[in-house]
Amino acid sequence: MSQFAVEACQLVKKFPARPGTGDKPLEGEPASSQRKRRRLFGKKEPKAMFTAVNGVDLQIQYGEIFGLLGPNGAGKSTTIRMLCTLLEPTSGTAHINGYDIVKQANDVRRSLGTVLAGERSIYWKLTGRENLEYFAALYHIPPAIAKKRVDELIERMELKDRANELVEKYSTGMRQRVAIAKALLARPPILLLDEPTLGLDPQAARNLRELIAQLKQEGHTILLTTHYMEEADQLSDRIGIIDAGKIIALDTPEGLKRRIDRKEIIRLEVSGWQDYIGEKLRAMREVESLVARRQNESDLWEVNLQATDSRVVLPKLMESISQNGTRLVNMNIVKPSLEDVFIHLTGKALRD
Amino acid sequence: METTFIPRSLGQPGLLSDVRAFLAVVRREWIIFTRYPSWIIALFIWPLIFPMMYILTARALSGPDGSGLAVFIATTGATDYIGYIIVGTTVWMWQNIVLWDVGFALRNEQMRGTLESNWLTPTWRFSYLLGQTGPQIVTMAMFIGVTALEFGLLFGIRLNGSPWMLGLMMLAAIPAIYGLGFAFASLVITVKEANAFVFLIRGMVMIFCGITFPVAILPAWMQTFAKWLPQTYLIHGMRAAAFAKAGVKELLPDLIPLLSFGAFWLAVGYFTFLWMERRARKSGAIGQY
Repeated sequence: MSQFAVEACQLVKKFPARPGTGDKPLEGEPASSQRKRRRLFGKKEPKAMFTAVNGVDLQIQYGEIFGLLGPNGAGKSTTIRMLCTLLEPTSGTAHINGYDIVKQANDVRRSLGTVLAGERSIYWKLTGRENLEYFAALYHIPPAIAKKRVDELIERMELKDRANELVEKYSTGMRQRVAIAKALLARPPILLLDEPTLGLDPQAARNLRELIAQLKQEGHTILLTTHYMEEADQLSDRIGIIDAGKIIALDTPEGLKRRIDRKEIIRLEVSGWQDYIGEKLRAMREVESLVARRQNESDLWEVNLQATDSRVVLPKLMESISQNGTRLVNMNIVKPSLEDVFIHLTGKALRD
Repeated sequence: METTFIPRSLGQPGLLSDVRAFLAVVRREWIIFTRYPSWIIALFIWPLIFPMMYILTARALSGPDGSGLAVFIATTGATDYIGYIIVGTTVWMWQNIVLWDVGFALRNEQMRGTLESNWLTPTWRFSYLLGQTGPQIVTMAMFIGVTALEFGLLFGIRLNGSPWMLGLMMLAAIPAIYGLGFAFASLVITVKEANAFVFLIRGMVMIFCGITFPVAILPAWMQTFAKWLPQTYLIHGMRAAAFAKAGVKELLPDLIPLLSFGAFWLAVGYFTFLWMERRARKSGAIGQY
């Protein structure tokens, strides 16, 4: 058996780019001159490519919860899709439970329970029970074992009273529970959960997080992708922060936060924020990063500022803000969170 | 040192498991089909409406006393023009329904979002497509039964030949008709939008295979083209079996090309599926809708 439940080495995935979204040409050479050179030598111009995942390395131990944290479009789902054999990597290798994701794809599928696309991954015109019976057959579980397993999961997911109703009558949370039960059917050693709490109400999300923690206790290895930092922080033994297709930091949640614990995080709520104030503050030596984000459609802005010395920054901050109709509504100096780590590493917010 | 208990998968791979998975796809498809009750209305209305258009046209052209039918009988050898038309339109509708049902089976799953969750299991992937044909063949058999019943009751159409020979012709056509459906299903996943192809194929069957007229009246080049369409042999053979009391020996000139086309289209369907599956793994097309 392999030492690691999940092991990826220099995984790369490129897709043909939509117009205007391709990778940048080599440094120092404009795209137009590349095109001219190709035409000159009569070669067919190669398709522009977009790199979704760019050399991801991962080693996840058995029994570990590993969180892959990153904003939308960072490459989380593409990485998961490669690991669960839906996508073939452009280059690089990966092993799940010791099996190669390209050469031993069926063994990989037997080792995995995957939740992708949540409630859309099950049949709405079947009942919850029929869905589970169907997928049990697809996972090659013998009928007698399948029957017991389906009953057990229906009980565990608290679906017993409505197991024989059509899924179309379920709430989003119930559908998500059926999708998770589906992933657990074959009792796979490794679970890949892609944004499992997306779209759930707070109570359903909390229940699901408790379930994920229980599954770890039962020995499952879990690779979880999320863009909710609290979720990653609460559940993960280790976290990989992914941005623009690359893992830019990998450590325990505490280890990641320690990287910036000497920094001071100032969180402000400001009305009437102007971009020039941000530029002015960024120009200060003591300000390491600043991200301003509008709250909903209101005139209220959340400003996240990382500074080396708040005593120097605060007076200038107050002075800059109290001008031209800008007003400070709230201010806190807080302990660094994973989002602050992300801002520190990328200069942008997780939900941008 | 801390030891981690690693769960063992409950799945047991093997041929029997693959057969059970295939049967699960058939069962799922049947359950979902029966949960859209409008199919019952379609089952009773369509067998009547579509042929009626041609039957009424034929009645108008043959004159109020049917005197024009003599020319038709001389050309086709068929005394029952209604039966003659019904066989042609039934084959056309069979191919049409297969293109929409089997041809769009994977695409519909892709749009529902369930294709990926099927693809994530260790089941032989062609089962997902093959399994869709089971309920389709059953409903098509019901469709043909209703056609026979309705025209028997309303127009007094009676089968002269052997129903077994008629069944044999239809059985021999299954590989060709569904093989084309499989190839089509794989292409639809790739190109996403394929209504124009359905219109093209069913238009070709309508014009070249003689659904309401004998192929012999077509220009020579069209007759040559018709020989490359399996539906031509199916329509010809079914008419011979139903109304001319043809036996296996008489049907062989239709059965042999039909089975040959069947082998060809099944192979095309399977290899197109493999090509699509490989291509989708590179492009991520399975999850795109």
